[in-house]
Amino acid sequence: MTVTESTASRGIELLGVTKSFGSNHVLTDVTAHLPADRIYGLLGANGVGKTTLMSLITNHAFRSSGSILVDGDDPDENAAVRERMCFVREDQKYNDAFSVKDILRVAPAFYPSWASETADRLTERFRLPLTTKSKRLSRGQRSALAIVVTLASRAAYTFLDEPYLGLDASARTIFYEELVAEYAAHPRTVLLSTHLIDEAAPLLEEVLILDQGRIVLQTDIDEASRGSFVVRGRESDVLDFVGGRALLTQRRLGGLLSVTVRGELNNEEHRRADELRLSVEPTSLQEFVAALGIHALDQSAPQNQTEKAP
Amino acid sequence: MTRVNRTLRLYLANKSWSLYSPLYILGIMTMFSVIITGIIGINTGFPLPADVRENMRYNGGALYAPPGFLVSVGVLAMNRNFAMALALGSTRKDLWRGTSLGFLLTSSLVGVGAVLALGLERLTNHWFIGARAFDVQFLGEGDVLRTFITMFLLSILSLYVGAFFGTVFRAYGTVWTAIAAILVTVGLLALVALAVWQSTRVSQVWDSLGAWLLLNLAAALALLAASGSYAVNRRALV
Repeated sequence: MTVTESTASRGIELLGVTKSFGSNHVLTDVTAHLPADRIYGLLGANGVGKTTLMSLITNHAFRSSGSILVDGDDPDENAAVRERMCFVREDQKYNDAFSVKDILRVAPAFYPSWASETADRLTERFRLPLTTKSKRLSRGQRSALAIVVTLASRAAYTFLDEPYLGLDASARTIFYEELVAEYAAHPRTVLLSTHLIDEAAPLLEEVLILDQGRIVLQTDIDEASRGSFVVRGRESDVLDFVGGRALLTQRRLGGLLSVTVRGELNNEEHRRADELRLSVEPTSLQEFVAALGIHALDQSAPQNQTEKAP
Repeated sequence: MTRVNRTLRLYLANKSWSLYSPLYILGIMTMFSVIITGIIGINTGFPLPADVRENMRYNGGALYAPPGFLVSVGVLAMNRNFAMALALGSTRKDLWRGTSLGFLLTSSLVGVGAVLALGLERLTNHWFIGARAFDVQFLGEGDVLRTFITMFLLSILSLYVGAFFGTVFRAYGTVWTAIAAILVTVGLLALVALAVWQSTRVSQVWDSLGAWLLLNLAAALALLAASGSYAVNRRALV
């Protein structure tokens, strides 16, 4: 089947995708559907298989079994599908002889919709040194270059692999601003891998959480926020308030108790919480994920950490 | 063609690496040949004695200088450029085709460069002091066609040998690259052994073909390396 108007909005379909390196099963029976033109977060701890999954979708590597379809077509050596993708890995290798300028001069040839003004603006904002050879770039500069190429490509399927690595706070802010602006002006499917949920959460519309090579959760961000809430206050009042509801987590600090509860509150319950002087807040994505027992996510600030396929 | 053109542009993104460096190398080789000849001349006096002039005819600098660099170009073109091309949405097949066009350009340029240098060498009566870099025996001593073809084949063979090993590394890793190197060496030694074993027949062919025998062999090996890199490339991984 070729890419046609009728199939062009189908997005990415994964069915029983498995990837093994010998006896090491990196991905096991991954099944998911990612409709087009949304921003997805691919979350999980380092080494859990995020880069490997993106490599399989983009045909940088070959799956051991299962099926991958992008807009209804298998991307393996499929030029019509592959040219709609941009996937600069966090450990991307460039030709050692190439400077940043060489890379930014050749990349537009690959993308008919290449946004020169975006590339120029981002290069300026990230203060990328144009004449520096790629192998001399710092970790942060490599991440910045990946962001420049990926966003300027305006590829229908844009993959961002741990884009925060090595970026300082101001560079991360530039990234948020530019991604949101680019996405608003030119909607596309963005799959962003990270092990830093709280950093990425405001950007995402939907998350897929990988744990031990499997997708353990795929949910809309809003649903995740609505799906649970946190109650904080005096222990006896909190326990009285939540009654028989199932507690996902609970933490004590002196006489205070903080519990995460699955479900939603009605107006009457909100009033009662006010009367008991309890604090009721929606859970953050991180709290929701942790409450579900997926503990493998790093909460530290961005570090120069890398994830590599074995 | 657009897709192939993209990867050709990737190959040509840094022309001093992919196109001009082999010419610089030939230029440096020529310069060294002239300097060495000059030093000899200072000792023996000019014009150079007949035996020195005779030895100059066998200067193999043009044969030895370019392959090392060109093999590295071939390796990087199918290794680092591979990672870049796939990142930018190309397929393995299109990368191979575009890079092959680039190899043809580089090799043609080396051939043309050698012919121009040969012309200059003869025009200046061997760089004014009897130094020879291109007007040499293995390039046909002024045979323009043979100079071009020899340098072209030498270049494209080097590039595809590099491309083959670069691709094997991408597809199967370090161990298999080493195994492939050993197998290729054994294969070439077997070829030499075959030539020794069939020396009479080889002599007959040499008598009829002369140096063209070696050029045919180089062309066959280049074709083999190109086919190998194409086949292995289909399984290469980022």
